[in-house]
Amino acid sequence: MTLQALLSGQGLMFLFFAVAAIASGILVVILQNPLRAALSLVINLFSVAGLYLSLNAYFLATVQVIVYAGAIMVLFLFVIMLLNMGQANLNTSYRGVRTIIAFSSAIGFGGLMSAVALKGQPNVMLPADAMVTGSSAGSVEGIGKVLYNPNLPWLFAFEWTSFLLLVAVIGAVVLAGKRQQPSEDKA
Amino acid sequence: MSIPLNYYIVLSMILFSLGIAGVTTRRNPILIFMSIELMLNAVNLSLIAFGRYLGDAGGQMLTIFVMAVAAAEVSVGLGILIAIFRTKDNVDVDVLNGLKG
Amino acid sequence: MLSSYIPVLVMVAGATIVALALIGLSALLGPRRPSASKDSAYECGVTPIGSARERFPVKFYLTAMLFIVFDIETIFLYPWAVNYKASGGLMFFNLVEMLVFVAILLVGYIYVWKRGGLEWG
Repeated sequence: MTLQALLSGQGLMFLFFAVAAIASGILVVILQNPLRAALSLVINLFSVAGLYLSLNAYFLATVQVIVYAGAIMVLFLFVIMLLNMGQANLNTSYRGVRTIIAFSSAIGFGGLMSAVALKGQPNVMLPADAMVTGSSAGSVEGIGKVLYNPNLPWLFAFEWTSFLLLVAVIGAVVLAGKRQQPSEDKA
Repeated sequence: MSIPLNYYIVLSMILFSLGIAGVTTRRNPILIFMSIELMLNAVNLSLIAFGRYLGDAGGQMLTIFVMAVAAAEVSVGLGILIAIFRTKDNVDVDVLNGLKG
Repeated sequence: MLSSYIPVLVMVAGATIVALALIGLSALLGPRRPSASKDSAYECGVTPIGSARERFPVKFYLTAMLFIVFDIETIFLYPWAVNYKASGGLMFFNLVEMLVFVAILLVGYIYVWKRGGLEWG
């Protein structure tokens, strides 16, 4: 049946990165040490970048590695070391009975949604590689042509992204930066 | 030769469920953040898979903006965490119940 | 198009197998005779002073956070720059839209600078 599709080039790529993504995702959820969980998340993000590649989203695969696996995870690791949680909080990571309920509800949700996806239209195939041309191919040029096209809605979102990043810069500096006047902030 | 769209959707669902399990069971806010990143990535994967299926670049555009929002969210969220740690010296989410009625 | 990446995938798989095999073999076959001086942290031959798990200063966080924000800016600049020469009549419009984007982020940069977030000492 459709399982034979996994033996093609794209199928093998999907299989490799899907197994890596699921395995490292499980490690993120169950590992007790925050540093190890963070490094598992790096593997997970790299695997998802590989899956983006298998979907012809070349630029986004690069962005995934640079922004997520590079910058965001470095920030996570710095904060883990900043709060020095390598040793502390080791045996308090779970909430007892609630863990069982949480895991079973997560499994139930995932199973339900997967069943819906598989039952709905079981044999919808992705278009072949040769069919993917132009902007949907996800090259740097294609992304730029769509993102900065004044006739499409993305340009507006792009300009507002700068405000979002401005708020993020100011918020993070106010929250975590050094106090300007130590006597003022005693509240 | 190509593979069914469903495989990507089911994989995305599995990763999203792992994120849910992480958010609901962890007590350490940094690990909760990392589980949220897992969920965001699962959604991004399904967005790109659907965009590829429909031949529409919108999925990839949305993914770029999700990444920008995630970066902003992480930098502000971890800043809040550092601010909490300065005042309370503890970041267990079950202990931070100062607003509980 | 995509099938040209298959050699990369084969290389990744091969590297994973070789790395796992070498680590596994050395764990299985290597003799283990731990001693106090072997287990201590390596600090270029000097006796270690204190634990390596000291608390990091918050400056590292601020620097990494600024890096992320301007990293995102670069991600948006790159597809813009690739398409800039080919944009024809929209060239001035594209220039203005990117200048607005950069100017808004520059406000944040100036704020951090004035606030002293860039000073290390």
